[in-house]
Amino acid sequence: MRPAAAAALLAGLAAAALLATRLASVAAIAALLLLVCLRAPASRRRLYLVGALLSALAVVVLTPFVETIGSHPIWTGPTVPVLGQLDVTREELYNGLFQGLRLGAVALAFAAYALLLDHDRLLQAAGFARRSVLAVALATRLVPTLERDAAGLTESLRGRGVEVSGVLGRARLLTPLLAGSLERALNLAEAMEARGYGRAGATRALGPAWRSRDRAALAVAAALVVIGALWL
Amino acid sequence: MALATVRGLEFAYPGAPAALRGVDLSIEDGEVVGLFGPSGSGKSTLLRALAGLVPHFHGGRFSGRVEIAGLDTRRVRPARLAGTVGTLFQDPEDQVVFTRVEAEVAFGLENVGTPPAEIPARALEALDAVGAAHLVDRPVAELSGGELQRVCLASVLALRPRLLLLDEPTSQLDPEGAEAAIELARSSGAAVIVSEQRPERVVEACDRLLFVEDGRAREDGLPDAWLPRETVLPDAEPRGATVCRLENVSFDYAERPVVSGADLTFGRGEIVVLVGPNGSGKTTLAKLAAGLLEPRAGRVVRAGRACYLSQDPGRYLVAERADEEAGLAVGGDLERARGALARLGLAGYEGRHPRDLSSGERERLALAAVLVAEPDLLVLDEPTRGVDPVRKDELVELLRAEAPGRATLVVTNDHVFAGAVADRVVSTAPQRERALA
Repeated sequence: MRPAAAAALLAGLAAAALLATRLASVAAIAALLLLVCLRAPASRRRLYLVGALLSALAVVVLTPFVETIGSHPIWTGPTVPVLGQLDVTREELYNGLFQGLRLGAVALAFAAYALLLDHDRLLQAAGFARRSVLAVALATRLVPTLERDAAGLTESLRGRGVEVSGVLGRARLLTPLLAGSLERALNLAEAMEARGYGRAGATRALGPAWRSRDRAALAVAAALVVIGALWL
Repeated sequence: MALATVRGLEFAYPGAPAALRGVDLSIEDGEVVGLFGPSGSGKSTLLRALAGLVPHFHGGRFSGRVEIAGLDTRRVRPARLAGTVGTLFQDPEDQVVFTRVEAEVAFGLENVGTPPAEIPARALEALDAVGAAHLVDRPVAELSGGELQRVCLASVLALRPRLLLLDEPTSQLDPEGAEAAIELARSSGAAVIVSEQRPERVVEACDRLLFVEDGRAREDGLPDAWLPRETVLPDAEPRGATVCRLENVSFDYAERPVVSGADLTFGRGEIVVLVGPNGSGKTTLAKLAAGLLEPRAGRVVRAGRACYLSQDPGRYLVAERADEEAGLAVGGDLERARGALARLGLAGYEGRHPRDLSSGERERLALAAVLVAEPDLLVLDEPTRGVDPVRKDELVELLRAEAPGRATLVVTNDHVFAGAVADRVVSTAPQRERALA
């Protein structure tokens, strides 16, 4: 399947998860996307899956404390400035789980996009908004690049007998990682300009022709959005 | 009419002293010009000026005139010059845009408006020319440094430029790969300006030699330290009390064997240099010796502490001050850290942020950060990448002076450096692998 068609399918699933109103529907979409992500090599998918899980968990845990809905209290806590009285209701728990699953589904759709699609071919297929698609492709590469830089920094420290462990140990890597990313971004921008990026009259290498299953995937993606909005 | 002319070029980066001072230069079609000079002397800036990136991309104070094929670089954007000028930058990792090799090579062709039907053939032809046609479908992230450098060279050659600007194009290549790359650039028919820190790799291929020092360019020959030197690799037996021993060690990356049944011994007082082609497992052996990797089979026995300095170490500094960086390996002992900085010529730099230092200073700081620990086994991976011959001689002197107290393992493709520093040379080349096993 062409990457553009696969990307449309993933976008359709993410949109359906955002539009659906039933917990079971969102959970099913998230489970489906998780299965898709599991096709990626274990070493590459771990970071994305942990990120998706932690984001979803954070929403599940925090939502009941910042929301004030429902009439079936489970726990009543102290009054906190700005937030008011803390309480947890059955409705808030349900909504936290629902919103957490939604976020998880969207994060997993992005993970599948980052892990499994050929971004180069996706960019080639972009007939319009090519700059925006290139920006997205470069941003997608940021995660593995940061991962590699973090591994290099860790190795550099281990090479001096300094073990990197715990939250504080890893936090030490954040500033050099950010500084390294900025340096790399500047160098890349310079190299792109030297290779003619931004010049008028650019062409595109020909990609493979659209096949019937690619068109079918687009139709399914559109259908997923409609089904998500009306029935899920 | 000359292809490129530079007249009275003066340039300073924003907020910095002059990087180029009154440079005059003329390049004819098909000429090969070698560009030499110490780190920070202005070589890369001169190449950037010829590509139009100075001043367009960097800003700064610019005076004089640079013309490429009749186009004044002050009036024409660098992107417009692409195709006429092809630029290969120092660090291949920082110039890759795409995730797959084929798309990476096609990128420049698309930008300069090559007819779509011609792009795949031109990309493949360029990859074939650099001996990388087999990499066409590979993800860029999986390539070795040498393979990536070839792909970047192919990306530039695919444009069939009239002026080829190469900034240390062989820094990650083995000697055979470097020779092939320079010959390829020469035979492309383009005028070539090649900046190099290893003169022995390019001097013979050059029609003219240009030496840049303190922003000024001259053509009256190279200083003695820069003249190509004879390389004699020593062939001694292991000596000294064993500090580290690899016994029948094997290692795989993703089920691809990289090291098979290697036996190596490093004795106190000797400097062992590991040479061999790109991808032959030199870095893996070094990491195994230093304890950064665990062997799949066999065992590594070490007596005492090992420290490892990675390739391109200036990229991997983590502290906010130079002395704190140097002190990390000794539990933050700033007195020892400052002593190590002084030994590497960095006295007075203690409070500077590591990223504010020049690339050469960063590398010396990284070396100080491992030497401070006074390890029993010191492992250095490609320590002369981007290092000029004068600083290379200083590094040889330093390593020789420090050698008696420890075993030293150096991984390098720089045979001149290897010949100067080594007591013993071990090769990972295929014909010698049996000797290792």
